[in-house]
Amino acid sequence: MTRYFLRKMVIYALTFVVAVTVDWAIPHLMPGNPVNTLMGRIQIQDPKVAHQVYTHYMRAFNLDLPLWKQYWYFWVSLFHGDLGTSILQFPTPVMSIITHAIPYTLALLIPAIALSWYAGNKFGALAARHMGLDNTVLPLGYALTATPYMWLGILLIWVLAVTWHVFPVGFAYDPTAVRGFDWPFISNLAYHWFLPFLSLFLVAFGGWAIGMRNMIIYELESDYAHYLGALGAPHRLIRKYAFRNAVLPQVTGLALALGAILGGALVTEIVFSYPGLGYQIYRAITNEDYFVIQGIFLFIIIGVLLANFVVDIVYLVVDPRTRIGMEGGRA
Amino acid sequence: MKRIWRGTVLGVALVAVAAAVFSTAASGGGKAPYANYPRSQTLITSGTQWGNIAGMNPYTGNYAAGMVGLVNETLLRFDPIKGKYIDWLAKSAGWSGKKYKIVVRSGVKWTNGKAFTGKDVAFNINLGRFKTAFWNNLWVNVKQIKVNGNTVLITFKGTPNYIQWQNLMWNLPMISPVQASAIKSAAQLTTYSPNVPIGTGPYTVAAGGFDPTTRVVYQKNNGWWAAKAHVSPSPKPKYIIDLVNTSNTNSLDAVLAGVEDLNNNYLPGVNQLVAQHKVSTYYPSKPYMLSANTAWLEPNTTRAPLNDPVFRRALAMSMNTGQVVSQDYAHLVRPASPTGLLPTWNKYIDKAAVKKYGFKYGPSAAKKLLQKHGYKLSGGWFQTKGGQAINLDLSVPQGWSDWETARNMIVNSAAQAGIKITVKVKDYNTWASDRNTGNFDLVIDNNYQLSDNPWTYWNGIYHLPVIKSGTGQTFANFERYSNATAWKLVQKLDHTAPNNTKQIRALNDKLQTILMQKLPLIPLWYNGVWAQFTSKYWTNWPSAKSSRRYVPAMWRGYLQMTGIDVITHLKQK
Repeated sequence: MTRYFLRKMVIYALTFVVAVTVDWAIPHLMPGNPVNTLMGRIQIQDPKVAHQVYTHYMRAFNLDLPLWKQYWYFWVSLFHGDLGTSILQFPTPVMSIITHAIPYTLALLIPAIALSWYAGNKFGALAARHMGLDNTVLPLGYALTATPYMWLGILLIWVLAVTWHVFPVGFAYDPTAVRGFDWPFISNLAYHWFLPFLSLFLVAFGGWAIGMRNMIIYELESDYAHYLGALGAPHRLIRKYAFRNAVLPQVTGLALALGAILGGALVTEIVFSYPGLGYQIYRAITNEDYFVIQGIFLFIIIGVLLANFVVDIVYLVVDPRTRIGMEGGRA
Repeated sequence: MKRIWRGTVLGVALVAVAAAVFSTAASGGGKAPYANYPRSQTLITSGTQWGNIAGMNPYTGNYAAGMVGLVNETLLRFDPIKGKYIDWLAKSAGWSGKKYKIVVRSGVKWTNGKAFTGKDVAFNINLGRFKTAFWNNLWVNVKQIKVNGNTVLITFKGTPNYIQWQNLMWNLPMISPVQASAIKSAAQLTTYSPNVPIGTGPYTVAAGGFDPTTRVVYQKNNGWWAAKAHVSPSPKPKYIIDLVNTSNTNSLDAVLAGVEDLNNNYLPGVNQLVAQHKVSTYYPSKPYMLSANTAWLEPNTTRAPLNDPVFRRALAMSMNTGQVVSQDYAHLVRPASPTGLLPTWNKYIDKAAVKKYGFKYGPSAAKKLLQKHGYKLSGGWFQTKGGQAINLDLSVPQGWSDWETARNMIVNSAAQAGIKITVKVKDYNTWASDRNTGNFDLVIDNNYQLSDNPWTYWNGIYHLPVIKSGTGQTFANFERYSNATAWKLVQKLDHTAPNNTKQIRALNDKLQTILMQKLPLIPLWYNGVWAQFTSKYWTNWPSAKSSRRYVPAMWRGYLQMTGIDVITHLKQK
């Protein structure tokens, strides 16, 4: 067990270093210069002053240094917990942007992932046993899982917000709301949260339901299920075993799908003007805000690695074969 | 059975909670159950702020939209429709020979209760001593700033930059010395950002409402000097909320859902919304919008054959701008004059020169012109005089849909004149970087906004030297046009006293003649001051058919250009 975890830790550490290096390299290798974008907003009429201001910002962001030095300072700052200063929102620290955005993203992601996974698996298992459901509702799952998050988001806004006025068109809360830690404001947040959550939930739900439905059918047709049936075991017991076996690939799938769902959350936030990490990173990329790009991706990297680690542990719990195998036994 | 019941009860409970949450949140209007800025007393605007709000520093480009104008005011304002300056914090301001005299209006108070004085003016101008101040080039030419009570007299070391200085007077926001005395260095000038700026304007920042990702909230300043002195009506909105933009599509949704009162985004097809009476615009029919800047085809004048003025003329003649205006923009824009001078600068246009040197759409005439000057056709496409194939690349920032459509139309119309242009797709940053460093043949561009003087336009076109290394051109002359004579004329214009109208006229005439003869840029159309407003909560919006001829924009720099008058003339519905 200890060896297993040590090996995992080494893999995660290596993945972290490589991912963070790529995270640093990509914005720095992008064409263009973020200070130019900043200068474009200031609109200085005189070239001498423009040069002075340009030089000032290049120094302030260490962008006048050779790339290797910038990379070195990046790691030094990282170990000091300093993610730098936003270029576009100068002089706002990147950490402040991230801490402001993270609650919104987590509020979307955690319920969407957890509920879609749970409900999708339950529904898929149900559909596998009911022909009627399998032929009617499940095709909707195919449509949902093939739907781009962004498109579904736009559709929901158009129908439920612009046409029927049932939900708001976007933002995290009503533009006229006064923020406060009270029930009315929290309900306002929930009201604005619902549509982006729904679009994430629906797309992910379809995928899980289809996966589970296929796995259950496969398991129910396997030898052990037939053997149990021949022994006279009740259908409920067979289904229980089938579900436990079918859920394993779904757990692995959850780890693999985290990145895709996260990507979906990013575009969903943009569509709904929802001020989470996705919205921030979109703005940062379009404005070449190096430090915000790096900072947010760093959080995403850490988040995905942690989630994968949790899934690894969960796998040990739900699959006795893995656990026994690691303890030196044979399943 | 037990499990079904459990599931049903859980489902019902969830629905009940959701219903409670949403009914609480959704029962909106003026009776919203949550503490709110009452909608009927709140003006909601959007269309200026792209991305998070950087803060309250008026010297950086990403400060809270509306701050300059609503909170921090300027000495003068400029009315681009009438072409006149408006005395504002200054009772009067103008040239007295080579000196500039400002008389500060008495009775103006900062929101901390202190009087606004001549010393405050001097303090603000003197912030230009820092190299990161955008007016540093003007400040270094200042010899002395003498304050005597409410009078400020500025003398200069050499000939003043008359035009730039006058431009500064309506663009330099007055910030409170109480807060800004903390600025001790060039670096601090860029990091200065008070939570609640002290100002003299009709509004103050409501700090509790500020959310950098979503909005800035302004609250009415009941002690505003201009209302007290009857210089301006007192604005009716108790609050102004400017929302952060995410996309034009989202803005369109927000306008249609009644979330926003004034929107300053380009919304394709807004003419149809006007026809359906869902929104209003400054003009009730085409061109719908006032003009904000000139969109042009920018050739790289250092590359053959674009270094040949004859070829550029033929290219200009091949442009079917009428098609772009009618089909791409549905007449939301106007075709540009061959001078490119905005309609508000009509008085500067030399009509005789336009007649003599201007260009018109005519693909056949363009072909003839090229053939006359030695360009030969081969397989339907023109070759260089040396017999090499011509294939020019043309790019616009990816995703700028109106420009992408215009680009395709330009490619097709040039093809009719035998000029081969190929589309090159570039994201904004690549596009801007390539443009700055000269790595392009052709781009569509629009760099210089509406202002008080065409000098800003000429400065942008003819500015020298062209920087060929490093980041290249950062603010002007992206076409890399080298014409020392024109550049001298631009400098001379800046150094011409405003009462020397004869020389100003002559210089402007020469500059536009050079433009039309050499065509370093090919003016195409005038982009609009995109502005659509709804009357659900506020009425009395500006219109060309009323006495309220104001520029309806919250864009930075536009509140000083009568944008503030739009707000002070609104009526509650």
